[in-house]
Amino acid sequence: MGLRSFILKRIVYSFVLILLVILLNFIIFKSMPGDPVQFLMKPWGREGAEVRQQQEQLLRDLWGFGEPFEVQAVKYVRNLLTWNFGTSYIEKRPVTESIGLRLPYTLVLLGGSAILSILLGVIIGIMVIQKRGTVVDSGAVTGSLVLGSLPTFWLGLVFLLFFYNILRWFPNKGAFPDAWALGWPVAYTVSSSYTSTSLSSVFSLNMVSAWTLVAGYLRHLFLPMLTLTVFSIGGWILLTRATMLDAITEDYIVTARAKGLTERAVLFRHALKNASLPIITSAALSFGFILSGAIITETVFTYPGLGAWTWTAIQFLDYTVLMAIFYIVSICVIAANIVADLLYGIIDPRIKYG
Amino acid sequence: MGRLQGKYEFMLRRFLGFLRSLLKNGKSIVGLILISAFLVVAFGASLFTPYTPIGEDPLDRLAPAASNVPPAWLRSLPTWLGGNPALSENMIIVQNPGSPRMIADGGEFKLETANPNLSVAPSDISYPYPLPLGYKRYGGEGSLSVTYTRKDGTTGGEVKAVIFKEFDFPYNGPPSSFYATISLQVNGSTTVSGVLPVDKLEVPVKVNVFLGLIDGRKWPIWPPVENIFYDVRIPRGFTKDKLTGAPGPIERPLFGATVFDNVTGTFIDSGWITSVKNELSTISSTSQQLVNPKSVFTFPNDPASIVFSSTPGSYAYGVEIVFVDTGSTEDVSTTVIIDDFGLMLKGTSFGLLGASHRGWDLFAQLLYGSRISLYLGISVAVFSVAIGLVVGLAAGYFGRIVDEVLMRTTDVLLVLPGLPLLIVLIAILGASIDNLIILLGLLGWMGFARMVRSQVLSIRERSYVEAAKAIGAGQFHIVIHHILPSVMSLVYISLATSVPGAVTAEAALSWLGFYDPMRMSWGRMLNEAVVEAGAITSWWWILPPGLCISLLAASFILVGYALDEVLNPKLRLRR
Repeated sequence: MGLRSFILKRIVYSFVLILLVILLNFIIFKSMPGDPVQFLMKPWGREGAEVRQQQEQLLRDLWGFGEPFEVQAVKYVRNLLTWNFGTSYIEKRPVTESIGLRLPYTLVLLGGSAILSILLGVIIGIMVIQKRGTVVDSGAVTGSLVLGSLPTFWLGLVFLLFFYNILRWFPNKGAFPDAWALGWPVAYTVSSSYTSTSLSSVFSLNMVSAWTLVAGYLRHLFLPMLTLTVFSIGGWILLTRATMLDAITEDYIVTARAKGLTERAVLFRHALKNASLPIITSAALSFGFILSGAIITETVFTYPGLGAWTWTAIQFLDYTVLMAIFYIVSICVIAANIVADLLYGIIDPRIKYG
Repeated sequence: MGRLQGKYEFMLRRFLGFLRSLLKNGKSIVGLILISAFLVVAFGASLFTPYTPIGEDPLDRLAPAASNVPPAWLRSLPTWLGGNPALSENMIIVQNPGSPRMIADGGEFKLETANPNLSVAPSDISYPYPLPLGYKRYGGEGSLSVTYTRKDGTTGGEVKAVIFKEFDFPYNGPPSSFYATISLQVNGSTTVSGVLPVDKLEVPVKVNVFLGLIDGRKWPIWPPVENIFYDVRIPRGFTKDKLTGAPGPIERPLFGATVFDNVTGTFIDSGWITSVKNELSTISSTSQQLVNPKSVFTFPNDPASIVFSSTPGSYAYGVEIVFVDTGSTEDVSTTVIIDDFGLMLKGTSFGLLGASHRGWDLFAQLLYGSRISLYLGISVAVFSVAIGLVVGLAAGYFGRIVDEVLMRTTDVLLVLPGLPLLIVLIAILGASIDNLIILLGLLGWMGFARMVRSQVLSIRERSYVEAAKAIGAGQFHIVIHHILPSVMSLVYISLATSVPGAVTAEAALSWLGFYDPMRMSWGRMLNEAVVEAGAITSWWWILPPGLCISLLAASFILVGYALDEVLNPKLRLRR
């Protein structure tokens, strides 16, 4: 089977998977307790029972809750496939708009920590491999195992305790200083002047406030990013170590050593290149879950990303938001799987699809 | 028979060999020691601590410590290490409150001034009235009876009996609060002659419970208004003998800070006489009932720190009983029975790890928390591995439509975001421990099922399976006897490695507030510390549960890793 038919097969298969996810999504949220219409009604209304019933009926029709189950299901599938997530009845704002507001924070936080932990993990993994069989090696393995088993929220709490409550080095919540809500630092100004014949505009960068802006964001980003990085770095160390161990028993490593290459060159040029395959594919897979946010970490640090938003949505049983998040995350994971499969073939031409 | 014996011998030898190679592995030794330690703690939690993690028993509702206090050993730590020499510890002042006795009778109480008409003696009667709901009566039989008897025909005026216990308070700082109790029963009789106002006890009694320095100020702690005695002069509803209508013995029950409301004619009980830190401290803190306007402390903010003004110092706790013998010249006798006469001080520090915001022992919570984690972790591991094994075997061996259906289900469950899904489902089903086990099991088998399936796919084509098929072995027989044994090493490893995920998932859910309200878990401890008590700086509360979660998770991971090394010898060759 060639690459083209493989991709075609994967796409068809992914589409089926997406439909299944949508269906499961629908069933889960339809079985959740509570009637959203009751939530939308004014509880303190002084109207008579008849008026209230009419109101309820109107709301039910307006939001489409009154329709038969299968009609709702079909509409739901259609809306999701056309990327129409509707309006959250808690926030009273289109879900796509809310996602747009929170996406940058989550992308920076999770993307940053993923990149950081992969880079550091691979480097440490290679350093461990150079000392294989020693105390350093078993210590690193045990340490990585322990790091991976730490509860993230507790790690976050401990960081908060030391870096915020005791040392006061970093802030404890939010993505930027509270004071900015009153007046944002102005990093640059564009002043335009024009006469009847010419138009000139001067762009001036205020270095001090630009730095304030960047530093404010970074200071707030540091602790959640540290938490996520520490949590996930152990897995990368172990993966790098395991794949490198596989690679260095191969014959071409013996050849490279026999040629008189330095240990460094052997490890980086020969072993790492061949060991990188599982690392790259797992990296691709881990990026697939980025959009689900880090519910726990973002909640600990009240970081305004998608994870904290999901948690709020769960607390208020905001179906629309949760359905959208589940759907988008599933699609991202499916896409990441396809990307990982394709990357396999690009990096290692020996792999045959089928 | 011999063949069977040989089989068992072989299995035993194989198991011993496996055990030997497992014990050669440093990681597995560390892991196994940790797991056994947690098991010992989980099963013997009640042996290591006398306290319960949360007040399940309504009769035992009084928490052992003051709320939100640090560990007791901080008292002896130097200040620069975070120690605080001014901390005090819990003290039980009255050793035997259930049957109070005078020193002469082998007890602990003293009488201040003797009066020929007064007699204080041990009594067999126990306070007969029911206590307010939620308050345990002290053990011990009998009570102390204070009797005033006069026969000579002249009124004796106000006669005061002060019964008290002296004690030393050794700490450098005041206690956090004091908890005093007293039950009083007034029983009087008057020889009636002529026309008398019958709704009166001939020698009425005023009482005043006090606490204070021996050589200094003694604060009246009950009745709650300073310098006002509790007056039992008008015992409405207790005046006449119910049967005959004639004036009879008058009984008046009192317990703790019982306040008689003259307007409604009812008693307002608050059980304990407590010191509550407040601008205007009210007495009724524990049972949250209506507060009589009278029961407002005149202490400005922290009664315990005002009463315990000199630290260390010598204090007295007692009751003043005034017999007001001014009304009648007849022979009179009034008895006051004192029972449940207790005082305990709650310190500003407690135990090994301090106390929670409700005053429960954090060390007990930590010990009992291991139960839920181990139970949940192991149950979830068994459950999810069982599902994964069945699914993997079925998908791998039967193939085709079975494989397709099972693997697509696996895929759907794998792409959904795990933790949000778990939280949503827990929110639907309710956060009980059994629901948690079922959900974690149902959402945790996918990876293992895939591993088993790929293993089965390769074993299915082996020649010994072909041979078994050729001699006519049934499908069930082949799966059980030929395929299952070769995936068992995967099963053992997965059993060990899926415990940590379940333990941390439970902790995360509890931390978010989805905990079983009847049980204390490590995640719930952290939830209460941060969310309910806002005590993020109380490191003695924050650090231990997280460390325990990590240790338990790490121990299972270490064992799983060691099992992997032992059961997959290919890995061993490489080092």
